[in-house]
Amino acid sequence: MAAYGWLIDEKRCIECRACESACKMWNQVETGVGVRRRQVRVYTTGVFPQVRQQALTGACYHCENAWCMKVCPVKAIWRRDEDGVVLIDQEKCVGCQQCAMFCPYGAPQFNLRTRKMDKCTMCFDRLEQGLDPACVTLCPTGALRYGPWEEVQKQGAETTANFAPPRQTRPKVRFIQEGFPTGK
Amino acid sequence: MALTRRNWLKATGTGLLAAPVALQGFEDYFQPAAGGAPAGMTRIVTACGICSPSCGIQAWVQDGRVRFLEGLPGDVSGDGHLCGKGAAGAMQLYDPDRLKYPMKRTNPRKGLDEDPGWVRISWTEALDEIAFRMKQTVDNYGAEALLFVTLPSPDLWARFMNAMGVVNRIDHRDECYQTDTVIQKYTTGGKTWCNDFENSKYILLFGWDILAKAKLAYATGIVKARSNGAKVVHFSPNYTATSRFANEWFTIKPGTDLAVALAMIQVIISENLYNKEFVDNYTNFGKYETEIRAHFAQYTPEWAEQISGVKAADIRRIAREFAANGPAIAPAHKKSLCANYMNSSQLVHAISILNILAGTIDRPGGRYFPRMHSIPGVDAIYPPPPYPPKKGRRVDGRDKLPLVNEVDQGMFSTLADGMLNKYPGMIKFSFWNAYTILGFPNPPRMVEALKTVDFTVVMDFLPTDTVTLADIVLPSAMYLEGNDAVARDYIAKYPQTVARKAVSAPIFEAKSIAYVAIELGKRLCPDYFKTPDGSWINPNTLLDEKVKRAGLGENFADFAAKGLVEKPQPFTPRTTFVSVAGADGKCQIYVPQFPAKGADPLPKWIPKRDQPNDIYPYYYMTFIPAIHRRNTTENNSILHEIMPTNHAIINPAMAKKHGIAEGQKVLVRSRAGQIELPAHLSETVPPDVVMVAHGFGHVSRAMSLAGGAGARDGDLIPDASIDDFVAAGNYAGASCIMDAVCSIEPL
Repeated sequence: MAAYGWLIDEKRCIECRACESACKMWNQVETGVGVRRRQVRVYTTGVFPQVRQQALTGACYHCENAWCMKVCPVKAIWRRDEDGVVLIDQEKCVGCQQCAMFCPYGAPQFNLRTRKMDKCTMCFDRLEQGLDPACVTLCPTGALRYGPWEEVQKQGAETTANFAPPRQTRPKVRFIQEGFPTGK
Repeated sequence: MALTRRNWLKATGTGLLAAPVALQGFEDYFQPAAGGAPAGMTRIVTACGICSPSCGIQAWVQDGRVRFLEGLPGDVSGDGHLCGKGAAGAMQLYDPDRLKYPMKRTNPRKGLDEDPGWVRISWTEALDEIAFRMKQTVDNYGAEALLFVTLPSPDLWARFMNAMGVVNRIDHRDECYQTDTVIQKYTTGGKTWCNDFENSKYILLFGWDILAKAKLAYATGIVKARSNGAKVVHFSPNYTATSRFANEWFTIKPGTDLAVALAMIQVIISENLYNKEFVDNYTNFGKYETEIRAHFAQYTPEWAEQISGVKAADIRRIAREFAANGPAIAPAHKKSLCANYMNSSQLVHAISILNILAGTIDRPGGRYFPRMHSIPGVDAIYPPPPYPPKKGRRVDGRDKLPLVNEVDQGMFSTLADGMLNKYPGMIKFSFWNAYTILGFPNPPRMVEALKTVDFTVVMDFLPTDTVTLADIVLPSAMYLEGNDAVARDYIAKYPQTVARKAVSAPIFEAKSIAYVAIELGKRLCPDYFKTPDGSWINPNTLLDEKVKRAGLGENFADFAAKGLVEKPQPFTPRTTFVSVAGADGKCQIYVPQFPAKGADPLPKWIPKRDQPNDIYPYYYMTFIPAIHRRNTTENNSILHEIMPTNHAIINPAMAKKHGIAEGQKVLVRSRAGQIELPAHLSETVPPDVVMVAHGFGHVSRAMSLAGGAGARDGDLIPDASIDDFVAAGNYAGASCIMDAVCSIEPL
């Protein structure tokens, strides 16, 4: 089974939110219903002027051990064999939000209009056509990339600041850690 | 074979690659995708129009509707990408709140809280009425009674205004880069806003925050520069996304960058660290060395520390590094620096001097002149009859600033004062094209000014607050609905032009401003809108001719089929610079032409206008967030969802002092006005600064998302009279759009 994972280089994120807009556009996700499948979150640490920020783009990580799948009482959440993408069957979902409570990453979100859960599909319809996920396509700096999971997992680190411990769920994401070269 | 993301994916996916391949570093790995077409979709190459670099777009259209916008591979402006605003641009095209047809006001009372009582009218009726009112105004009061708040583009629109002898035309550029335009004309010789960040080794940013605005033409350059090992130094009162990309960030007291810049010049000159080859050959340093050395001697780093709060040792060290570790660049340009304070004219001159001393004017890694296709305008293709002389008074008082007069821009900040105090009742007719009162300092005063105008026309694509004050409103096409040839002018080492092709016909009855120019032209100044054979100018034929003469294609259709045309050529640095008399083609550090035009030949220290005091103890700062463009995108449903409103962002220490909790509503006051909005506590802001995002506080409920969301930052910014500017020595007309102090209290 081929599977894909995200590769995130957070130091390159300029917080432009192209990934967010691209996700909304391609997937035609309704606005104003509480669903933002991909979000850039900014975390501030320290006390002025010893202050630092981290910008972290996040969505569903299509975990190897997806808790959302395990806890869904109606088995609406399933995994595609061909690419390991975890999806929510909108026919079966009853909107109980159990998946949202167990997901450490805030991936499944309750759609206020459909009263069902919604989340990132990794743009599987684009993957099928050999295209990159919409968010990756738009990212102007390479802060967000993706690739075959067997390659991605050889890169970077398993976790980063403000990212839930990955040991249990095994999210398909790696974080590039080396910083920019030091200028003179 | 270079390992691109695309072929890496394919190779791995089909098992052709036996051994796993480690990523070979960012540049090898991250190539733009090979651009496969999504099934069932048509590709249209066009250009963004949300902000001025106009990044190239490939739009994917399905069943006649835009499904997806992505960057145009090979485009140098967006580096083949779009930002979050550009990617969501189609939501503006399909915004259900868009103006759909011309309308006429029936309620004579004007005000933001008055229902205009719109009645739908035909384009013919609207144009006839506008032409009648304009003619009546000019006949009775002269052309000076016309006010056009609009960019002078497209060229057909400029022709219309020239043919009508319009004296009072202003646009936002005085807030963006008028200061830079004035200074560059005399110091480096022209439009030096191209920044070669990726080849720079030392990037010095004074208040410059374009990365945090996500303007890709520059933001990606900073990211590349860091990848290439450049050092980035950021001076900014608050910590921003730009600070995150800096090796060193220094907080600085608002409005004191000038002191630090002057001290850096002092260090570089007194220690003879400047680029000798460039300074000796291409500047007037030698000719005015005595004056220059004597002038800057007073501005020591110790002096600057007292004013700015930046340590003298740091100023000295950064100045030495800047001089030694080039190529070095200190960008200016745009709201985040050129227009904020009363001392921005001097600041831009000082920054220009730093670049000249670094010897990187039109050199790799520096500020360079754009190399562009020469696209002829309508006046070159169909030479007009002589334009009438522009007679009359400038309502914004611009004629008192000779340097601003020369570059023919306008003064947003003094317009209201001119209309209400200086020349009350002079303006009888105003035409607003795609501008809202939110763009002005102290918008309520602009509303009062507009109420004094007999007849106002507003052309826009959304029912903005300004529309609420109009007598006639015209629905405007937006950028995805028109054709054009858009030259790359922000990143322009060699000529490159993108075809902006309409991805959609204008919705409902929306029309372009070129259409309005021609139709009003037919009614008011027909001789200017005819071709040599006597027929009316046709904008499509005109565009075909421009494309042909610029060498972009046989006609627009041919150009559009190519999408992007470029002429790669080696970068040949300039050897002659300033062309004004007496400059001898050199860069001017000392500007001998300035004293005759009310300016100092060398930048001297002056403080910003408003200083903290007993009543208003805090600095007030505004910013343009990454996800919105000025005041034009707040009704875009995707962008609204990401950032629906603004806050008073304050340091937790200030919040504690005043008993303000996160999210609590606060009252922020200045000598200009007051706003109420929720507080947001952040350690990114100094304890003596209140920060508010620009673009919010639209009142018009006809914008269903933006209307009523957030507060108008501009209400706290005092507008000014032209005499204030003259008295302060603000000779380049920097518009003080952030020069305010405030108080804060919980509600």
